[in-house]
Amino acid sequence: MTTSPTKAPATAATYVYGVMAAGSIPAIDLDGVAGARVHPFVDGHLAAIVSSLPSGELRMRRSDLVNHLRVLEHAFAEATVVPCAFGMVLMSEEAVRDEFLEPRREELVALLQRLDGHGQLNVRVTYDQDVVLQEVVEADPMIAHLREQTRALDEEAGYSLRMQLGERVATALQYAREHDGEVILERLEKHAADVALEEPGEDVLKASFLVADQKSEDFDRELERIAEEQAPRLRLDVVGPLPPAAFATLEQGAWDS
Amino acid sequence: MAVAQRGTANNYLQRAPSPSGLADVLSVILDKGIVIDAFVRISVIGIELITIDARIVIASVDTYLRFAEAVNRLDLTETGGAGIQDLAGDGAKSKTQGALEGAKEKLTPGNKDKESEKSKS
Repeated sequence: MTTSPTKAPATAATYVYGVMAAGSIPAIDLDGVAGARVHPFVDGHLAAIVSSLPSGELRMRRSDLVNHLRVLEHAFAEATVVPCAFGMVLMSEEAVRDEFLEPRREELVALLQRLDGHGQLNVRVTYDQDVVLQEVVEADPMIAHLREQTRALDEEAGYSLRMQLGERVATALQYAREHDGEVILERLEKHAADVALEEPGEDVLKASFLVADQKSEDFDRELERIAEEQAPRLRLDVVGPLPPAAFATLEQGAWDS
Repeated sequence: MAVAQRGTANNYLQRAPSPSGLADVLSVILDKGIVIDAFVRISVIGIELITIDARIVIASVDTYLRFAEAVNRLDLTETGGAGIQDLAGDGAKSKTQGALEGAKEKLTPGNKDKESEKSKS
């Protein structure tokens, strides 16, 4: 299939990356999803960052995901942007105006104001498993005892004891995770405007923080303090500041057309 | 509690301006941000498969056995006694010491550097 990146017909399906104030939209000289050039679509005081999509069936590739994020990051570096989730497509540029920007104008303006001067920091806190397992063994005499017993037995004979041991360790770890996660969340929350928690799984904490630019140093210092105090049992991974996608949500249900 | 190494926060705090792995990219842009009518969204069949590897903790037999093994693998002599005594009461201490003896017997050579050498002596 041949696509013409220069001039797309007005009816082309339109991919939307995000929304900005019309006055602050930067030139974005990047390839977007499906390789199409990214451009602004201005409607009054709002502008959507869009690109046209070739017709027919689309297969999303890794590069499309990366391009979506890169476009948002580029916009975010210049001014406030309300990110759209990956994969948002409207039937034409007119539909971007009639079905998205117009009916959602108030909400979008409010979001732009709320996100102005803020970035998203994704924080993931994990245990050094060996250090924390050691704590668990040392803190619970029953675990230490079971450990001693099962080490002396072969696989068959020790099966049920090993199950007991494992269950007790898993429970102790879960408890430790919840406790540590809560404490760290509380400390970081103080420097953030908002937080979006994710299911931590086997991590201690997985969360996105919305942090005001003038608070970002405080936030970072708190991270440093936590890392210092908790070394070597905890490790903190921080990504950002990112376009605040985790905090860009429209009211569900109001959308109805 | 007392820990072997303090400070050097740099090793324990990693910063990155932008996500690197595909899973991390997905976690930033998939289902985050504004979404309108689902039927106009590009189908992202296949992408779900990538995100599903997100580890789900299920209190299962496998998990228990894995933890039991991890605990048994631990080289408890590594950090010496300070932390242990801080944490455990007297009753616990004797049990822990017992476990430590077990650990010594099963120490595999080539474990972590100087600390394990010390414990072998």
